[in-house]
Amino acid sequence: MEKATVQSSNVDLINQKKKKQFNYTLVSIITLILFFVVWQLIVQYEIVSSRILASPIDIARAFIEKLTKEGPDGATLQENVWASMKIAMTGYFFGCITGVPIGLLMGWYKPVDRFVRPVFDLIRPIPPVGWIPISLLLLGFGFRAKVLIIFFGTFVPCIINSQTGVLLTPQSLIDVAKTFGAKDFEIFRKVGIPYALPLVFTGLRIALASSWGALVAAEMLAANAGLGNMIVMGRQFVRTDLIILGMVVIGFIGIILVSIFDQIEKFFLKGRI
Amino acid sequence: MLKKNQIRKIILNIFPVISIGLLITVWVLFSNAHPNLLATPRMVFDRAIRMFEHPIGGMNIFGHIWVSMKRIFIALGIALVLGILLGLIMAVSRFGKATLGTIYNLIKPIPPLAWVPMITVWFGIGELSKIILVTRGGLNPITDNTYTGVRITDKNLIDVGRVARASNSQLFRLIILPASLPSIIAGFKNALTNCFMVVLAAEMMGAQAGLGFLITRGIMAVDPPIILVGMITIGIVGALLSAFASYVERITCPWIRRIN
Repeated sequence: MEKATVQSSNVDLINQKKKKQFNYTLVSIITLILFFVVWQLIVQYEIVSSRILASPIDIARAFIEKLTKEGPDGATLQENVWASMKIAMTGYFFGCITGVPIGLLMGWYKPVDRFVRPVFDLIRPIPPVGWIPISLLLLGFGFRAKVLIIFFGTFVPCIINSQTGVLLTPQSLIDVAKTFGAKDFEIFRKVGIPYALPLVFTGLRIALASSWGALVAAEMLAANAGLGNMIVMGRQFVRTDLIILGMVVIGFIGIILVSIFDQIEKFFLKGRI
Repeated sequence: MLKKNQIRKIILNIFPVISIGLLITVWVLFSNAHPNLLATPRMVFDRAIRMFEHPIGGMNIFGHIWVSMKRIFIALGIALVLGILLGLIMAVSRFGKATLGTIYNLIKPIPPLAWVPMITVWFGIGELSKIILVTRGGLNPITDNTYTGVRITDKNLIDVGRVARASNSQLFRLIILPASLPSIIAGFKNALTNCFMVVLAAEMMGAQAGLGFLITRGIMAVDPPIILVGMITIGIVGALLSAFASYVERITCPWIRRIN
């Protein structure tokens, strides 16, 4: 008799827990639906003028339309996305390739740190947006100028995190390698760098977010294609649906990039803490 | 042995000097060869001084710095209040997380600068728009860090509180809040950097004063000295802001151990 009641009360507890979890997901979903419904309604019934806010349906329509039409800004949606991605990925790639090795070396070899540090400390406080004028002056209004801006935005967090990662290598690990007779560079390669890897990846992630944000800024200020430009054009032609469409696409791509990055990180950091 | 160490120390101390020297040399050489692209140090210095006699947009350099700083700090204050509230609600109440949190997660991925056109359509190009934009820039780090800070509070600490029969509000005030303070301050530091970035961009896109405006003026009027004055000032101000943020961290969370 007792066994049965204990068992059934356990089952009760588990069911209760399941119900609670289910309830909260339901609340999230309802909130989402309510959000879009209210949004649609306040535009549809002109509580807010449709000139200053586009309804979700308008945006969906603009999305489909933009897939084929070149619209007011001179390019289809895919062309804009591709233009933005090209710049962001190129800048990100170059920033990482230079930033991570330099940062790692700065963390391990004091002479490198002493040499690079002063210049880096001058560059660091200037946000990517701040590099726009110099890039424009030196490289004109084109592809290379924008890549340079993204480069600076990526380069800085990569160096900071890579250096910190190496600096944090526990002395005990280094000592163990020394007792095995490893030479300095070998210890760097086999102990320092692997230990720094998690922080390096954090830096890469920060750099990714920073580069995507910097891209938007760069495109809004000096571009004739790309998502940032699409948004600015949307404002110029009072097409709020294009504006919000651009914002949503930018946010969505940001999420995708971060997810891809997380998968890559998981692959590299298998089994680490 | 000693001599070797001494030589090494001397070399290490010279390196920073060499690299800065190289940088300045490159600057001087390049700008003298292309004065229309890059202003020489002399021109930059002259321009900065001249701004006291011939103000740009009605202000000298300090006026512009002050305008940008004002925007940053007002927006930062609002972002702190909103962000900490939002983060706390999301962390403490599961219902709050399901409702407010869902909406927040919709807004979060959109970079603050992407909001510029929308905000200008709604609020024009005045001060209010800029404050809203900069607040949006500072909101993400503060909210996320407050949320994380509360969530990762060591369960042992909470258990100790429960053993001592603390009420819920005491638990919150005396254990959870102080434990999450370092995280919140870290969010504050990030928010400061973000706000600075957004303020500059917002000023570049349409303002009558501020450091970003100075730079845009320089580009429009093809006036390289102003651009460099602006950029150098941005660098200096940025560094000062970082130092300020670290200072705030040291005061509010004196128990944190730092790496360098």
